Amino acid sequence: MKVKVYKCFRILGWDFTITPTRFVLTGLVALMAATVLLRLLTGFQFVTNLTDETPWGMWIAFDVMCGVALAGGGYSTALLVHMFRYKQCEVVARGALLTSLLGYILVMAGLFLDIGQWFNFWRPFVSWGYTSVLFEVFWCISMYTTILSLEFFEIITERVLVKKLHRHILKILPVLVVIGLVFPVLHQSSLGGLFLIMKEKMFPLWWSQFLPIYFLMSSFFVGSAMVCVETTLARTAYGHEIPHEIMLKLTRVGARIMLVYLLMKIYDLFSMDLWGYVFQGTLQSNMYCLEMLFGIIIPICIIISPLRKTRGGLLTYAWLTVLGVIFNRLNCVFTSMYESGSYFPGIGEIIVSAGLVSLGILIYCFLVENFNIIGNARAVQVKIDKDKDIKNLIWALLRTKRH
Amino acid sequence: MTNKISRRKFLKVVAGSGVVGFGVMAAGCKGDPSGAQGWIPDQYQGKGDFPVNLKGRVAISQDNPSIERDDEKCILCGQCVEACKNVMGVYGNYPLPLKNEVACVGCGQCTIACPSGAITEKRNIQDVLAAIDDDSKHVVVQTAPATKVSLGEEFGMEPGASVGKKMVGALKEAGFDAVFDTCFSADLTIMEEASEFVHRLTKAKDEIPHLTSCCPGWVKYCEYFYPELMHNLSTCKSPQNMMGATIKSFYAEKKGIKPENIINVSIMPCTAKKFEVGREELQVDDQRDMDYVLTTRELAVLLKHKGIDLNTVAESEYDSVLGESTGAGKIFGATGGVTEAAVRTAYYFATGSNPPADLLSWQPVRGMKAVKEANATIPGVGTVNIAVCHGLENARQLLNGIKEHGSKWQFIEFMACPGGCIGGGGQPKSSVADIKQKRIAAIYKEDNSSAKRCSHDNTEIQSIYKEFYGKPLSEKAEKYLHTSFVNRHDRLF
Amino acid sequence: MAVLVDITKCIGCEGCSVACKMYNGLDFKAKPRNIKDGHLELDDNRWTVIQEFHTANDSLRFVKKQCLHCLEPACASACFSKAIQKDEKTGAVVYYPDLCVGCRYCMVACPYSIPKYQWNEQFPQVAKCQMCEARLSKGDAPACVSACTTGALISGDRDELIKKAHEIIASDSRYVNHVYGEHEVGGSEWLYISDVPFEELGFKQVSDTPVTNYSKSYLSKVPFFAAGWALFLAGLTYYNHRVEKNKKNQDDENKDKED
Ligand code: SF4
Ligand code: SF4
Ligand code: SF4
Ligand code: SF4
Ligand code: SF4
Repeated sequence: MKVKVYKCFRILGWDFTITPTRFVLTGLVALMAATVLLRLLTGFQFVTNLTDETPWGMWIAFDVMCGVALAGGGYSTALLVHMFRYKQCEVVARGALLTSLLGYILVMAGLFLDIGQWFNFWRPFVSWGYTSVLFEVFWCISMYTTILSLEFFEIITERVLVKKLHRHILKILPVLVVIGLVFPVLHQSSLGGLFLIMKEKMFPLWWSQFLPIYFLMSSFFVGSAMVCVETTLARTAYGHEIPHEIMLKLTRVGARIMLVYLLMKIYDLFSMDLWGYVFQGTLQSNMYCLEMLFGIIIPICIIISPLRKTRGGLLTYAWLTVLGVIFNRLNCVFTSMYESGSYFPGIGEIIVSAGLVSLGILIYCFLVENFNIIGNARAVQVKIDKDKDIKNLIWALLRTKRH
Repeated sequence: MTNKISRRKFLKVVAGSGVVGFGVMAAGCKGDPSGAQGWIPDQYQGKGDFPVNLKGRVAISQDNPSIERDDEKCILCGQCVEACKNVMGVYGNYPLPLKNEVACVGCGQCTIACPSGAITEKRNIQDVLAAIDDDSKHVVVQTAPATKVSLGEEFGMEPGASVGKKMVGALKEAGFDAVFDTCFSADLTIMEEASEFVHRLTKAKDEIPHLTSCCPGWVKYCEYFYPELMHNLSTCKSPQNMMGATIKSFYAEKKGIKPENIINVSIMPCTAKKFEVGREELQVDDQRDMDYVLTTRELAVLLKHKGIDLNTVAESEYDSVLGESTGAGKIFGATGGVTEAAVRTAYYFATGSNPPADLLSWQPVRGMKAVKEANATIPGVGTVNIAVCHGLENARQLLNGIKEHGSKWQFIEFMACPGGCIGGGGQPKSSVADIKQKRIAAIYKEDNSSAKRCSHDNTEIQSIYKEFYGKPLSEKAEKYLHTSFVNRHDRLF
Repeated sequence: MAVLVDITKCIGCEGCSVACKMYNGLDFKAKPRNIKDGHLELDDNRWTVIQEFHTANDSLRFVKKQCLHCLEPACASACFSKAIQKDEKTGAVVYYPDLCVGCRYCMVACPYSIPKYQWNEQFPQVAKCQMCEARLSKGDAPACVSACTTGALISGDRDELIKKAHEIIASDSRYVNHVYGEHEVGGSEWLYISDVPFEELGFKQVSDTPVTNYSKSYLSKVPFFAAGWALFLAGLTYYNHRVEKNKKNQDDENKDKED
């Protein structure tokens, strides 16, 4: 596959590629930075549309709930690759790890913006509200992000600080992997557990005793679907080809779990006698039907039909699954709870969310181009040029050269 | 080496204990809970759900047309409850749970009692200013007798200063198109009411005792608490509304102005009037009798807003057609005044001649006694037993007595506010002890110095009957000058 | 400490809500932020409101709304930094702004949606009735209760008030035979009795199970699950390691995978 080569700066041995898309993304990030500043200085009033009736808005529903779910790809692939020895899938593991890490960092950023007294963010570390599911989520996410960073450090240290750290990291890596598989499972389920206490507020179709399990399962299958989507995207951008068979293998595990998920959901409908709600034709029930149909049933159909063998079919499955889970999270936070609230994210909220995603993409691209992540050894071969000093930096900035 | 290690150790210990200490501090100190930053009046300290003498406040519903309250100013002093309960007999005199209304007769005594100015009349100043500025509207204003002896107080004058003519001058300067005197329509009321009373005395004995109905606070009280007495109420509209109806019919016709282009404003000592003007019944041919009521206090604000100083403004006369008044109309503002005025004219109706001097200065119905009794001997009719009652708590006790023992009076005057209209809820607030007596004295002084003392002597009244109404209780008079009442009992009971 | 609200006795004077604003130093000028179905709702400067209801048979009722101070407060259980705590002595569910991170989980968790937020502040805090905890601990009644003249609000020991409530209901057939707050989501310190069915007065119909039960039972399982999962993973790692070793068929003594 031919990869279009864009302008690339090499500064101190690091590659910075500029493409029109990235230019736009950088603009979005700058816009976000301004909005973030406004938010931190003035509170929520100018930036968000949050109200007492919708205290949780886009930042929680999309940035946090969806972000965490989508970043689930990291742990699900890690689980398959390292634990269940899907060795062929190893090629995607590093990419998935990186997306997860970025995802989590952005989730933390989103969370930080969403908390009112952000200077107090450390309180739960010392003032333990252990009765709260959020407490568990908070700890697990912080721990997991730390672990992920350490794991990722292995890749970083392939290039930087090679001598000093790389071998130590390699040594503890197995431990990290195990711990790194405990935390995500805990907090993915706890994110669902957050809603347990809202029994009296949620629309009955979404509330269930099994919410933690639902969230865990969906994070797992959306994880593999996300890896699928993301490698496809990376393929377009970097010509990084992953055999269809491997992708299929990954998604098939996801789809099996999806099937169990569907069965449990149906069991819920029977056990809590909710069929009446499903077809009552209200906003909530329609949203529920949409979610189940497009997010679960159709993807399952794709996977059991011969469609799965085609690239398009698999990609459709992956996209539907990803969107379905996003839809599910949004439904849990909005549709199920705010029957009379009319919340639509404010422009500031959208800017920040878009900016965060852009930032993630930019960092992803930078890292992929400079480190051995999706199998291009290119970056590692570049020697660190100690002699490139400030003069060269300015020189490089002044004179752009084609890479 | 040892040095290095110990230093490192030292730093570690310091840093470690710092972190631990910070953590402990942060975890242990939860700081102050939110709230409890304000204050609360003293009677609410201590185990506060004990009963105390003065506490709580009256309920004022959002759509109360008479009064409103600014919560920020309220200090929960309980004075309004005191006024509402012990002076006006409203608060606490209906059963709980509520039926479908928050009881309020609109008297505005709470606005007088409220020490912090939290309760005020519902202001119509802006509406009136807008009407004045609207060239397509003919804005007519009338002034109630009790306002003439109190408005001066708002401009630093002696309590009881008579400022009627200055008020006319000020109103004209403020831009009203015509200024009429409610004393005129008080005379009109007397013509109707005296005729009605004589009629009831002689032909409709079941409607005796005759109860006056010129006080809207009392009328609403009667509708709330004594609906069985509603048919004893005089069907006469209050002077304010007689004036309103006359302006939009007789005056409009005479002037060639479309009634819908006339805005009727009144200057009243009363907040209940604001409720009265909104009554369904008080409209003729789809024209509301009255449009806006300003209290004496509101007028003072309006004049000050316009930069008009009552002390320096030129005096002026009421406009003609509906501007002439007699002493009888003037004394409407004081408790006992309506009775005295009615008796003067009833005497004339019965005998064809004006009453003797003692009925022109009829002391038994004057003064601040809660219930005053008197009897007037009118040749040809006999002796009429009369009671005069002011303050609704007094009325309540009187009426409960009547309910039990029947009435020994044929005519009873009720005024909601203590002292009558001069003590109305829209009057200037004052800390002068005998302010009411001073205003009353001023009113009787005006009466004494009037050339004409009886309503039927009013030449404009005579001509309006000749030109428009025919005679008292005529069909036309019934249409424009009489009204009906609404049973409000089941809204409270 | 508990409060019994007798809805039949309330005349809607709002003395209680004024007392609350006064005592807690809330802003009287703040415009109402939340109006739902024509009813004034709580907001950051209204820790309590009086809501007006016109019932089906055309009677007028006023309902005082504020935090119910649950016996099993969802808000306190939801707070991950313990910024909301139930006071042992007084039973008041109290908010400590210094501990609050501002996640607003308490707002979403409360079954009655009581906690509100200072949306216009730079560093916003949660706002809710504190049951005048400072007064309660002195032995005083809450400010609002003190200000009520009609006896619509009475404070006292919860058990006694419940007994009293049932006595009132038994002695007057007009009352609905239900003490709202006796069992609702596990019961609350604030209790209501009424002569109009509670559904008509905007009271939420909730089950008697405390919502905290669900999260509690979940959290109690988490450690076991976590430990089990970690052990399983460790075992699996060890097994994989062995398989690998066997496959490579070589001994590697100094490599040591801990579990
Ligand atoms: S008199 Fe005024 S300040 Fe006192 S309680 Fe009544 S409204 Fe409040
Ligand atoms: S009513 Fe809501 S805010 Fe009040 S204690 Fe209960 S859960 Fe907490
Ligand atoms: S908003 Fe504050 S009080 Fe509420 S749960 Fe979060 S940290 Fe606790
Ligand atoms: S208990 Fe205190 S904080 Fe709560 S509503 Fe009453 S006065 Fe306000
Ligand atoms: S103070 Fe008492 S009567 Fe007045 S509104 Fe409050 S609860 Fe009702």
